[in-house]
Amino acid sequence: MALSRHIYQALEDIVGPENISDDPAVLESYRYSLAHTAIHVGPYYDTFTPRGLAVLLPGSTEEVQAIVRLCNKYRIKFKASSTFWSAQGYPSDDNTIQLDMRRMDRILEIDEKNMFAVIESGVIGATLQAEAMKRGLNTHIPGSGCSCSPLASATSYFGSGPGNLFGGWYYDNLLGVEWVMPTGEVMRTGALGSGCGWFCGEGPGPSLRGIFRGFTGAKGALGVFTKCALKLFPWPGPDKLPVEGRPPAYRSPLPRELFRAYTLAFPSWKAWADAAYMIWDAGIGYLAHRQFNMFGRDLKFAMVKILTNPDGTLNDLEELLQDPEVRRVTGESERDFQIVLAGMTPRDLEWQERALDEMLARTGGWKVEAMNVPEIHDWALLYLIRLGHKNLNLVYGGGYDGCFGLFGVPDFGARRVEEAAAFKKEWENKGAIVASGGDCMMGPIGGQGGGGTCLWENFTHFDPHDRDSVEGTREFFDASTEFALRKGWGVGMEKWNAAAVGPDGRTPSKEVRDKIHLSAPQPSIYSYQAKIREAFNPNNLGDAYYETLE
Amino acid sequence: MPLEDFAGEADRCSQCSYCKWIPFDHVKSWRFAKNCPSIAYHNFNSYSARGRYAVTRSLLRGQVEYTDTLRRIIFTCLACGSCDVSCKICRYNLEPLEMVRELKFRAVEDGQGLEAHRAVVESLNREQNTMSQPRARRGDWADELDVPRLPKDKAEIVFHAGCRSSYDPQLQATARAAVTLLRDVGVNVGIMGERELCCGGRVYAMGYREEFARFAQANVKAWASAGVKMVVTSCADGYHAFKRLYPRLGLQVEVLHTVELLARLIEDGKLKFRSPVPMMVTYHDPCHLGRQGEPFVPWNGVEKKIFNQIIVYEPKRPRYNGAWGVYDPPRQVLRSIPGLELVEMERIQEHSWCCGAGGGVREAYPEFSLWTAGERIAEAWATGAEALVTSCPWCERNFMDANGASGEPMPVYDIVDLVQKAML
Repeated sequence: MALSRHIYQALEDIVGPENISDDPAVLESYRYSLAHTAIHVGPYYDTFTPRGLAVLLPGSTEEVQAIVRLCNKYRIKFKASSTFWSAQGYPSDDNTIQLDMRRMDRILEIDEKNMFAVIESGVIGATLQAEAMKRGLNTHIPGSGCSCSPLASATSYFGSGPGNLFGGWYYDNLLGVEWVMPTGEVMRTGALGSGCGWFCGEGPGPSLRGIFRGFTGAKGALGVFTKCALKLFPWPGPDKLPVEGRPPAYRSPLPRELFRAYTLAFPSWKAWADAAYMIWDAGIGYLAHRQFNMFGRDLKFAMVKILTNPDGTLNDLEELLQDPEVRRVTGESERDFQIVLAGMTPRDLEWQERALDEMLARTGGWKVEAMNVPEIHDWALLYLIRLGHKNLNLVYGGGYDGCFGLFGVPDFGARRVEEAAAFKKEWENKGAIVASGGDCMMGPIGGQGGGGTCLWENFTHFDPHDRDSVEGTREFFDASTEFALRKGWGVGMEKWNAAAVGPDGRTPSKEVRDKIHLSAPQPSIYSYQAKIREAFNPNNLGDAYYETLE
Repeated sequence: MPLEDFAGEADRCSQCSYCKWIPFDHVKSWRFAKNCPSIAYHNFNSYSARGRYAVTRSLLRGQVEYTDTLRRIIFTCLACGSCDVSCKICRYNLEPLEMVRELKFRAVEDGQGLEAHRAVVESLNREQNTMSQPRARRGDWADELDVPRLPKDKAEIVFHAGCRSSYDPQLQATARAAVTLLRDVGVNVGIMGERELCCGGRVYAMGYREEFARFAQANVKAWASAGVKMVVTSCADGYHAFKRLYPRLGLQVEVLHTVELLARLIEDGKLKFRSPVPMMVTYHDPCHLGRQGEPFVPWNGVEKKIFNQIIVYEPKRPRYNGAWGVYDPPRQVLRSIPGLELVEMERIQEHSWCCGAGGGVREAYPEFSLWTAGERIAEAWATGAEALVTSCPWCERNFMDANGASGEPMPVYDIVDLVQKAML
């Protein structure tokens, strides 16, 4: 399928010839492999998202608006993406043009006094954080890492990450928004909508966060977000992250009197959850995440040893796992999570440290000392603050996805982790997925009132180039869904996008989608979203990631 | 390895876009966070390593055909290796730089090479240099020097000037200074003069593998028959060719860049400076001396899996990720010069921004090449330095050509020029 020449010409007139292409070689680089990563569907071997009709690189809101209007005129679907982390940023239907928001990458303002930043779509977490730090501020980095767009995470997806604890989720942080609606009109929300600036998401002015974002976001299916303001929060460190070491073992020797990165471990899952509640209640901590467990309960400390050694390779895993010290630490940190303490003053850090020690005493937990040696401590500190190594999700062979997705208060996941791990371990024994100990559960600690929330994602690693591995992984995911439904845990994240993308990489038929939505615990949500879509996107030019039930 | 062997990597590429940025831990500003000039200039995904993996897959499957756009996607890769470093922050089983090289080899084998590159190869075949200059004049730069000319004269150390320094009138003085400095401190260094041959590195980066191999073998043979034990060069391209590529073809002599030898001489107390050079400078790491300057490690192995699906290699495969490039010697030399202050740019060492001269880009896409150099000059100015120093004539040439295109021109030096000033 191709765009007619006159439509292509009209689009080219908007963005200029250097910012549009329908050359197959360009279009092929905007297809996503459904065989390999966190797309929450499949995985499907040798399957890609559909090739778009053209790729455009808009440079301004006006250009985006003109493109969207043209799409409405000719009934062409469009899909905008900022940083292309997952399949959700790519077309899932034929007759779609891809907007790559890369050129709209300006940080328009950092309001130091009122602690917010105004950014465009293509800004990434790393650059926003670097610029904020120059002003004694910091930004929440999405859980997918600092390569990703804070705007996309804040306007169109969960917006969760290790910074939830102190910096809040992005749904908390989203202030004024500039939104090119699916019809091509520009809506400015929050205080911005009444000409009062970017400082508030709710008003004076129209508050539409619940419409365009809700909790999970419309994943790029409801127009294009071109600018937004995000809350920033205090950064007590230097204006530039000090970085030492050879790649990939970079480390940051931040002042010890202000920063600590700990791996905490606990004698039981109840103790683990109790500590998570206590941390939330006491208001200590800057970042918290069960992060390195994504490598697997059995492999995580060996992986830390490899990652902190510039000469390390995955070949070292087997030998490391024979090392009694590595085995001891691996066993010791079975029920763990990472926490970064940041003191606004040395006295503040001292207090947090004492509070943490008290919590550990009450729960019987401990600091994993092997993670406190300087080269590992300073590596973990940098890792968690910048979150710039998230491609480690795919370190083993290039394929991973999360399963289960036990989303709730700490107890919810903690009570189920052993069952979920045992179930996964059985499947690891079949050979299609990496044998890493069953428990690869990871996710943030805290982030909402009432004891915090945790998102337990049981990472599953596989080889996207190996048909047996991919298909075996899909069988495991199917089994996981059945298992979780049987247990009353709800549909796991491995199937979250099943209504949006099918085995051929395209949106399934309406009948299939309706069947999925009708079987959901609360199908009326999708009916409500259908009304929203009808009102805001009358020509239905988004895709099925915005889930509706007519 | 043939392009077909990269099919697995194409499927396993994370599509994460880390290849577009310097290692994130090192990001210090919005302005200087990008690493790959090709994607920074062209913006479409296809101009990044992840995009080129997609192109590789599509080509292997016959889903795309050669077009001007595809040729541009392939040949605007500067082969600078910055994507390789960033990718390997997290990945242990991808080799994006090797993949792009193979993509170029394949395009050339398919008759899709660029006219501008063919002209260079013709010059190489005709005159044994990439500069379209007469072979007989290759040694002219050293006419006034009292230096042994191999193989007629004897010397165990040969200084390889390289094509650019041999023929570029503005850079010949640096080659002369290097040889003079070394001889003045007692290093018995000789040159091949008009018998010197191109290293072949630049045509290798354009996709001409066979021509490279021919010149490599000729050089190895010439040095062997001249009794050479050590090759010293001031050219980063040449250094990379000799250090990383030639050993595959049998070179066994020691290879040093001039800055490595100077650093050794300073450390041994054999090179002492007499004059202060009161100047604040910043240093540009040439890609082929820095991240690609890691020593060659022989390997002949196969992929295997452990823990069901973890991809490793039997035996353990060398990991070129820029960790052990030549970063300290040039800085040691600069810091040894009295009065000279070295300030660093944001993108240095393994995550240095390319000068824009590599990969055949200077020859085929001059506008993009000079834009790339201009970006580096802007970064150099941002440090507050008054001059930009490097250790490769190709980088120096590109900076000089880009200088002043936007903003004030910045003085550009080779390290040897500053050492020479300090010796006066």
